[in-house]
Amino acid sequence: MTSPQPFSVLVVDDEPSLRKTIRASLSASGYCVAEAGTGGEAVGVFRGRPFDLVLLDVNMPGMSGVEACRQIRALAPRTGIIMVTVRDAEEDKVRALEAGADDYVTKPFRFRELIARLGAVLRRTRMDIDASGVVQVGALKMDLERRVLWKGDEEIRLSPKEFDLLSFMMKNQGVPLTHLKLLQAVWGSDYGSELEYLRTYVRMLRKKIEDDPARPDYILTEPWVGYRFGNPSDPDQAARPSEQE
Amino acid sequence: MWSGTGGLAAGLLTLVAFRLHLSFISASFCYLLLLVLQSLSGELISSAIVSILAVGCLDYFFVEPLFSFQVSSPLDTLGLASFLITGLVITRLVAQVRIKTESSRLQHENLKRLYDVAQQMLALEPDATGGGNFLEPFRQVFELKAVCLFDAARSELYLAGQAHADLEKKTGEAFIHGRGGDDRSEGITTQIIRVGGRTTGAIGFEGLKDQELTAGPLAALAVAHLERTHSFAHASRAAATAQAESYRSVILDALAHEFKTPLSTILAAAGALREIRSLSPDHREMAETVESEAARLGRLTTRLIRTARLEREEVKPWMELIDVSSVISDTVDQYNRSTSGRISLVRECESTEVLADRELVRLAVSQLLDNACKYSTPGSAVTLSIARQDESIAVRVLSSGNPISPNEKNKIFDRFYRGLNGRHTSHGSGLGLYVARKIAVALGGNLDLESESGATRGAAFCLTLPVPEGERSDVPATV
Repeated sequence: MTSPQPFSVLVVDDEPSLRKTIRASLSASGYCVAEAGTGGEAVGVFRGRPFDLVLLDVNMPGMSGVEACRQIRALAPRTGIIMVTVRDAEEDKVRALEAGADDYVTKPFRFRELIARLGAVLRRTRMDIDASGVVQVGALKMDLERRVLWKGDEEIRLSPKEFDLLSFMMKNQGVPLTHLKLLQAVWGSDYGSELEYLRTYVRMLRKKIEDDPARPDYILTEPWVGYRFGNPSDPDQAARPSEQE
Repeated sequence: MWSGTGGLAAGLLTLVAFRLHLSFISASFCYLLLLVLQSLSGELISSAIVSILAVGCLDYFFVEPLFSFQVSSPLDTLGLASFLITGLVITRLVAQVRIKTESSRLQHENLKRLYDVAQQMLALEPDATGGGNFLEPFRQVFELKAVCLFDAARSELYLAGQAHADLEKKTGEAFIHGRGGDDRSEGITTQIIRVGGRTTGAIGFEGLKDQELTAGPLAALAVAHLERTHSFAHASRAAATAQAESYRSVILDALAHEFKTPLSTILAAAGALREIRSLSPDHREMAETVESEAARLGRLTTRLIRTARLEREEVKPWMELIDVSSVISDTVDQYNRSTSGRISLVRECESTEVLADRELVRLAVSQLLDNACKYSTPGSAVTLSIARQDESIAVRVLSSGNPISPNEKNKIFDRFYRGLNGRHTSHGSGLGLYVARKIAVALGGNLDLESESGATRGAAFCLTLPVPEGERSDVPATV
């Protein structure tokens, strides 16, 4: 039996010391790492060989991270792309997600958090719904065929729209979903600015599925970006950044 | 001089009328004509003298018995009396018309001069007060010897022209006594300058004609110019402060962002070191310390950026329904880890849901706890209570020691204000309460200092956050 092939990561950042440190750290954690100093170089490297994951800084001289993300996504639809942003730059995050990024980490980030994000994106890009059409996250179990949701042993009744919204979130567990993406996935491509619809349904869903709706474990808010479906039984969720002092 | 001329004319008229043997009535009309001419050119007194002289001439030369001042007929007496009254009335009326005409001419001239001064004052730069140059138009247009102005706001005395008398002293005295006046012997007129009922200075003129007409308007022009210069100075200072503030927060923001990349490098390196299995426990602990301190520095940097942005009003709150007690309880736990459990949390109501921005509430509560820990008696308890108050949730932070004095109460929420006690005992930027109140207002609530917490003699701050309407009436909200 051969050991599994390590996952390959392309680290793109214009700061050599950060690049070098991340490379060393990820290599020590079992990843196979390559580097690029600019967005253009990253696209060039990617054309030469595919990667499982790309860690891409948003702010770089020359080709921006968002543009590089768009080009890489066009080359490789199944590669996991994680953007590196700074806090309070929500527009960058939304632009990056809309350009095809799967997730983002915010500088300065802990190494544990980075590893957790890489893991979540890898799982998502490789996740296939099992043959029975059942998705399970924490205590929630959803039968996509029969359109039924259980929390533990209790069945939870959902309206058709609630079910569509929740199923889309559960299928994309662990990654941020922009308001636009959610609205278009559930209500249709003509929608995009109807945040009130989303807020109303999220509020109703939280009342039905969360233990404490004011302190949600599943439907987590990403301020100004959208929502992220979390898994309370996932130890990685604890690595989410905290703003508390 | 006019009475002499009038008298001579009356004499000539008498001679001619007597030679021509004019009747009493004809002669009377001739004298009335003379009186009108006299009134038009002479003064009131000279006209009155000529009136009386004319009555004398009529009586002596034209009324029987002739060449006597006696009057034999009562009708003649009545005629003479009528002539005298008519003459005096004509004299008086004509004199009044003349005075009014003269006054109107003077007013017109003064208005023209005032208009000239106003135009010249408007042409001056709004910051032109140096050396009293702005008073030159007053002096030149009104041909004054000198003009002096005392500006109480700046405690400055401005002078234009060569003052021969005690102009400066009298202007100062007018301000001190709150009363202007005229000194005719020295030709000095002083006026008090008032803005909104408040005395703001005094102005003195030497050699001003028609003081009653011009002193007031000239003082008003001086007030207008002074107010203009004060407003300009105030606006310039405000603009300079705003610009400095803007630069300061932009630099702060840029610096904080610059810190983030090296901090990420340190965190990544420290995190990776911790993962090395062969590390000794001491080395692992050191790596953990580096990581946790770098993470703390990162949080401080983020907080700094957020504070700078709040100041520039660039932060848009993300409003969602949150349980404020759970947000606060997390923050209190964080503080208690570094303050040996000084902070206790008391929840006085069941539902503590509010519509607010989670991160901003956290930041505001952190600022209040920072403030309470810094400025209270070291080691004393800090109590944080959450209670329902009308349509809001009230978060109170009570601490003991260093109470806030009454005259500081209105200043503590000002930017960069640091309490008198705090200046010597603790480090701080003077931004905490300012930022916390800004957040409270941005979230539709408020932050106030309540009366001192009695026995403990400390400070009690109350942060209120509105309860969403749906929660007030138990109707599901749409947010």
